[in-house]
Amino acid sequence: MTVHECDVCIVGGGITSAMLAQKLAELRPSARIIVVEAGRSIFDRENRGRYRLRTLEYGEHPWPGDYIEDQQAEGIISMTMAVGGLALHWGGACNRFSREDLRLKSLYGLADDWPLEWAELERAYGEAERRLNVCGEPSPYPGDERSTPYPQPPMPLSYNLEVLKGWAGQSGYRFNPLPMARNLKPADGRGGCCVFDTCGDVCPSGARYSPDFTFRQLMAPKRIALHDRTLVRRLVVDDGKTTVAAAEARHQDRPDEPVQYRARHFVVASGYCWSSHLLLLSSSPRFPNGLANGSGLVGRYMNGHRFISATAEVAEQTYPGQNMTHSLISREYFRCATGQPFVRHDLRVWESSAGRTPRLRDDGGRLLVGDELLEDWRSRTKGSAVRLRAYVDVHPSIDSRLTLDPAKKNRYGDPMPRIEHRLDAATEGRMAATRAHVAGVFGRMAKAGGGRIVSTGEGDYLDHPGGGCRMGTDPATSVCDSHGRTHDHENLFVVGAPTTPTGGCTNGTLTFVALTLRSAEEIARALPT
Amino acid sequence: MERRTALRWMASAAAALPFTRLRVFAQRGELPPDAVATLREVAATVLPASLGPAGVAEAVDRFLAWTRGYREGMALEHGYGHPCLRFTPASPVPGYVAQLAALDRAARAKGGRFATLDLDTRRALLDAALTAAGVGALPRRPNGQHVVADLMGHYFNSSQAADVCYQAHIGRQTCRLIAVTTKRPAPFQADGGRR
Repeated sequence: MTVHECDVCIVGGGITSAMLAQKLAELRPSARIIVVEAGRSIFDRENRGRYRLRTLEYGEHPWPGDYIEDQQAEGIISMTMAVGGLALHWGGACNRFSREDLRLKSLYGLADDWPLEWAELERAYGEAERRLNVCGEPSPYPGDERSTPYPQPPMPLSYNLEVLKGWAGQSGYRFNPLPMARNLKPADGRGGCCVFDTCGDVCPSGARYSPDFTFRQLMAPKRIALHDRTLVRRLVVDDGKTTVAAAEARHQDRPDEPVQYRARHFVVASGYCWSSHLLLLSSSPRFPNGLANGSGLVGRYMNGHRFISATAEVAEQTYPGQNMTHSLISREYFRCATGQPFVRHDLRVWESSAGRTPRLRDDGGRLLVGDELLEDWRSRTKGSAVRLRAYVDVHPSIDSRLTLDPAKKNRYGDPMPRIEHRLDAATEGRMAATRAHVAGVFGRMAKAGGGRIVSTGEGDYLDHPGGGCRMGTDPATSVCDSHGRTHDHENLFVVGAPTTPTGGCTNGTLTFVALTLRSAEEIARALPT
Repeated sequence: MERRTALRWMASAAAALPFTRLRVFAQRGELPPDAVATLREVAATVLPASLGPAGVAEAVDRFLAWTRGYREGMALEHGYGHPCLRFTPASPVPGYVAQLAALDRAARAKGGRFATLDLDTRRALLDAALTAAGVGALPRRPNGQHVVADLMGHYFNSSQAADVCYQAHIGRQTCRLIAVTTKRPAPFQADGGRR
């Protein structure tokens, strides 16, 4: 058996892991930090332009080998398991939650409060935005005040979005450019934005932040060690104590040879799915329900937000394709007056080519060829299509769960996770009213701008999922405290998405990072200076 | 091994391969000349004549380059929300060859090569072929269902075609300065959009 010893063993190699490792290495330069990631490193930045072209031309996956075929979960939203995690191919949206997210119980009698003050999270947001080099401008809404400016000015609006901002603004809602983790100019070893417009697939210049850059920067001067292609299968507790002694792992190339990590502190930074999974897998006679699970809540309260979309037709002329991955956001409905029917959601606007793409046959079914096809297409490009979307705040029930599925096992015989999201009764009870409200918002925008809604839809999964190890002050009703320290094991932390009690009503990544940076301070306090 | 020695070794190893295997390999990625000739005749009908002969030829060349660059068994995008693992299927080229040969036969049955037929006849032949292949819409990317639909989809869904349609230099998914995108796309000049 190979044994590695360190001060901090971080399990998982995604964005929260990268941010945690970076901050710990700054706060405690002498600390020995090992990041263990099941997937492989894809550090060939020089090939990303080619990968992008292959994706555009052939639909090939732009991150070769970023998955492990027998390490997959039922109900997961992405197969990616590699250094960088889902943030290899995120869009870069960096919205903040609002203070209401932290006080749902106090303000509205719904779900639960988060066990931290808004001022603490707000400060961490500022740090997260600095580390991710977010471009943005302050929200025009009262209640969205910031203590620090964005590190970069906002992403300049494309001509199309400028036109659509004028259209959308007629509704009375106020819109901003979406804050994004995109370099406007080269910075921090990454390139500047060239509007390749494939942020959600791959960014050849590295302008859109991805954690592989951070890991490379930390590895070169040996500030951390990264052990990739190494799957941590379970955490083991010290005999007679409640502290975690070791993480047991296997390397893909040496599946028969156990690898053990011994550390003063263990941090599970494996995202919303694999964090709960590891804790449940780590059961033993002393801890038959898995680690950190004295409350029985590991794998419960799995959260996220629903999303409702629409396409509008408007008279204003745009030219689809200028910057389709950028959008406008309104925070009009981030806060809901108490005593009113509860509804919270963000509001986004994108350019769109819906209904304005070339077609093979006309309305009568006649085959179109050559210039007549081009003319048919051109005749349908007058005015614009607009993509609208609202991420709706919904709350999980205790039965929104991640469980171990005995029917699906990996090569080592470990049962794989199954995620089944369920909403609490209050959320279910108001969903019809929520849908009607959002439809009304879309309708108001269309009417005010002289357009019309031509289609609507609703997602069938929860986006930006979190939960499974929710934070709280009471060990009977939560898994960890606000720093991610588990109630049951003083040297075991969980960070990021799994710790969130609720999923908010906008993209979650910035919040996951901010919470993690706050955890880093607590973990550093426990390390020798 | 010296680089030159390695190259010589690779060349001799390639020469030792059975000719038939090389031919099969070539067939999977490369359309034979007679198929290319038929494709170019069809292209003159299905692609905009307003591109001019050179523009149509260039669009066909790009499609042929696409077929040469096709790789079987590559992981496709997993998707988000409900991801799944899928791989690129076998090369569409053998199917294309058969479809082009069938079009050529059908054209000859109508009295000549495809290009010599009147537009209604050409349209009817294409309609029948696409209907028989179950093509309902232009594919976003070539999918092997039918070579004609794939050629059309490859061109009409390109960034260049969008610019031609809008008569403006949008440059969708091309590398460009952010500042360029903040302005209304410049209209095409008399050069037909070529810059």
